[in-house]
Amino acid sequence: MFQNRAEALALALPAAVFAAIVFLAPVVILLAEGFRSADSWSLSAYVDFFTNPLNRTVFLRTFRLGLMVTVVSAVIGYAAAFAIVNLSPRNKGQMIGLVVLPLMISSVARTYAWIVILGRTGIVNQALQLIGLSDEPIRFLFTETAVFIGLLQLFLPLMILSLISALENMPKDAIPAARVLGANWFQVFWKVILPLTKEGLVIGGTLVFTGSLTAYITPAILGGSKVLMLETLLYQRVTVANDFVSASVIAFILIVMSFAANLLLKRLATARNKR
Amino acid sequence: MKKILLASSALLLIGANAASAQEKTLTISVYGFAQDAFKELVYTPFEAKCGCKLVVETGNSVERLAKMEANKASPVVDMAVVSMADALSASRAGLIEKIDNSKLTNFNKLYDIAKDPNGDGMSVGYTFYATSIVYRSDKMEVSSWADLLDEKNASHVAFPNVTTNQGPPALYMVGEAIGKNTPDLKEAIAAVGAKKDEIVTFYVKSSQLVQLMQQEEIWAAPIGRFSWEGFTKLGLPIKWATPKEGQTGGMNVMVLTKGGKNQDLALEFMDFWLSTEIQTALAEKLVDSPSNKEVKVAPEVAENLTYGEETVKNLKLIPSDVALDNREAWLSEWNAQVGQ
Repeated sequence: MFQNRAEALALALPAAVFAAIVFLAPVVILLAEGFRSADSWSLSAYVDFFTNPLNRTVFLRTFRLGLMVTVVSAVIGYAAAFAIVNLSPRNKGQMIGLVVLPLMISSVARTYAWIVILGRTGIVNQALQLIGLSDEPIRFLFTETAVFIGLLQLFLPLMILSLISALENMPKDAIPAARVLGANWFQVFWKVILPLTKEGLVIGGTLVFTGSLTAYITPAILGGSKVLMLETLLYQRVTVANDFVSASVIAFILIVMSFAANLLLKRLATARNKR
Repeated sequence: MKKILLASSALLLIGANAASAQEKTLTISVYGFAQDAFKELVYTPFEAKCGCKLVVETGNSVERLAKMEANKASPVVDMAVVSMADALSASRAGLIEKIDNSKLTNFNKLYDIAKDPNGDGMSVGYTFYATSIVYRSDKMEVSSWADLLDEKNASHVAFPNVTTNQGPPALYMVGEAIGKNTPDLKEAIAAVGAKKDEIVTFYVKSSQLVQLMQQEEIWAAPIGRFSWEGFTKLGLPIKWATPKEGQTGGMNVMVLTKGGKNQDLALEFMDFWLSTEIQTALAEKLVDSPSNKEVKVAPEVAENLTYGEETVKNLKLIPSDVALDNREAWLSEWNAQVGQ
């Protein structure tokens, strides 16, 4: 399209310079903070961070919740996406609209709604008591369960949308062919659907996992300080202790976890390919 | 071309001179709260009076102090309002200057505890608040801070996180109640930690509590008096406790930046803010409780404030040096006992 590379580079330059100055440089400066001790480079901030038992608990909890949300949203997501792609075009549009709708509502509003729904006098507790599953209100709020539910609701639409587009690109006769050849539904999913839609799963999984790792509002409101996550801990370190070193350590860990999740998912996808 | 350049730079110079002649500016650093009311009641009237321009910087106190520290060599801010403990921290860091009380005509109208809260002449209190327990009087009785941790009550209590302004004072009073009050708050934190599974949440934002109270998620919580009004509108039987150990609270103070370029103007502004007229206006709008004892307000206004000689005299405030010297230790003790 361009006469030469130089021309293309020149056109890309303003945007690149802008991104370097307002995004990359601050990120590098911030992250470098975590590798400095006195006047030399060191890993001591990271060692300190992981020797603190609270930080380890918080790190593991963040990882565990991120993983659970990703796995559960993949399971629900496949079922929902499979149901949706098999609808008539008209109904499909309506259902996709319903899936997208929550994304248009502020996550603060959605999270606050959960406070009402999961409360002692909320609809979940009322229903449980009505059908006799519990005698007195169960405490959901400010527990890991509440954070899990909040995060799942927040990011499930991203997984469903990624899987819908993956399933739509799958050859229509792949499933009937597998069935005719005698595969049961589990084999159809494992050997046909999964390999053919793994791109969507990688995209959805990365979005959901990194989203769960870095969401701030949901763990802050539904978990509070009883269910600290890395992001709420980061906030605490900065606003309360004015401790930018720990904060940059946490930020670095979050970035690494996000990249690692993406790489791992991609690797899993290609590994299955080769076989 | 040269002529045009010359002419335009000359114009610029004239313009700049004219601006500096007519516009004295005073930069203040305040909490980002109720700024509409402050603008109407304090900033605009002061600008009219002094013929100067106010530049208002807002933010939480950690942010604002970090900024003052960064600009230490050439201060941007002329005066700031911070908590008592933050004032002491600023003074230790050499960021603020002694306040010349003789330039504050309203100084003698202040309650004694507001005159020099840290005993170093570096700050003047402009408002304070009581912290006590708001509770459902039909569900429980509160006559002591220890009642919060009682077997029957703990699972209906929201306790302030140690990181909030209400946290340390509330722990301080729990320590009083269990008869083990030391500056490190160790026993109080341990007592709360022992109930951490029962306690509903360790709140960070008091604005959340009204909803929790409405949903019957909680029956009681220690709060600052400034949050009280929201609870009175719920239509539930809700009371403000007067525990036998007393009420605690906090005070916010004004400080003067060291090496600021407009110190006289800053003092003039402080004096204006402390005047009976302005303090009354702020009290009537329920923005800040007055530290000027000449302020008189109607009973229904006083009800929502920390008001009156008697109340002020009985406030048990944590001394700033105790708060400052123990802050990190409180946080790590809290994180160890309660946080996981």
